[in-house]
Amino acid sequence: MTAPELCSHRVASYLKPQVILELLVQRDGEFQELMRIAHEQGKVHQEMQLLEKEAEKRDTDIQQLQKQLKEAEHILATAVYQAKEKLKSIEKARKGSVSSEEVIKYAHRISASNAVCAPLNWVPGDPRRPYPTDLEMRSGRLGQMSNLSTNGVNGHLPGDALAAGRLPEVLTPQYPWQSGDMSLNMLPPNHSNDFMLEPPGHNKENEDDVEVMSTDSSSSSSDSD
Amino acid sequence: MAASPLKEEPAPEDCSLLPLVYDIIKCMDKDSPDVHQELNKLKTKIQEAREQIVAMPGIGMSPEQQKQQFENLKEQVRTKNELLQKYKSLCMFDIPKS
Repeated sequence: MTAPELCSHRVASYLKPQVILELLVQRDGEFQELMRIAHEQGKVHQEMQLLEKEAEKRDTDIQQLQKQLKEAEHILATAVYQAKEKLKSIEKARKGSVSSEEVIKYAHRISASNAVCAPLNWVPGDPRRPYPTDLEMRSGRLGQMSNLSTNGVNGHLPGDALAAGRLPEVLTPQYPWQSGDMSLNMLPPNHSNDFMLEPPGHNKENEDDVEVMSTDSSSSSSDSD
Repeated sequence: MAASPLKEEPAPEDCSLLPLVYDIIKCMDKDSPDVHQELNKLKTKIQEAREQIVAMPGIGMSPEQQKQQFENLKEQVRTKNELLQKYKSLCMFDIPKS
């Protein structure tokens, strides 16, 4: 059959009421079936929405847990690092250990100069101090160098004795602690017997220079001034 | 059929247009003046059905696709639950028995 003949045959068959009714019933059945499927899909869609909400909640929980684990890792890493540093220090101290006898000897030498504690026979009025006093500073190398420069201004050549690397005899040290032997066994510098002597080269011109380094006169009971 | 709690969806048998068509044919046979009224009812019913179909959720994909997506979501939730359970019960340190 040709196409036009087919179309005319269909139109003729469609015109029959029975055929139309059959088609109508068929279409209605299909429509009902589709509506039923759509109804089922709606239910599944609701369940899927519930599942999505649950998945979101799990994601939040996982992120929270991840954050806490990260924090714990950081804390533990810091603790491990500090522990390792401590172990290194312990090992270093173990390698560089000093015998207790040497430490005690050194402590004895330090305290022998009465720098950490006053002498047992020290009384108020004793000119001795745990630090260099005015007199000692003036009688030291700085004071002597100042005296040399002052004498040079007055007519003496300043560079002669200094160039020779030695001091004039008048400026040679006269105190026990000013001896050339600077070993650790030296006696404390403050000896009451030697303290009354005037340091060599002492003059008023040096006082201003030394005053800056010296102690406050109010705290010192020396009779140098 | 049970209606959903959020929105009342029409039951499939309510979507049938045959009763209305039957009423129209009966009116035509009786030459009743209510033919137009019945035709309007049919038109209204068809329009309501269209609106309901448009508002229906989850019909943007085929049933098979929807089923696949549903299975994927279920698997996802199950995996995440397992992961959480694993990490919560994980103990990295051997706690000495006191």
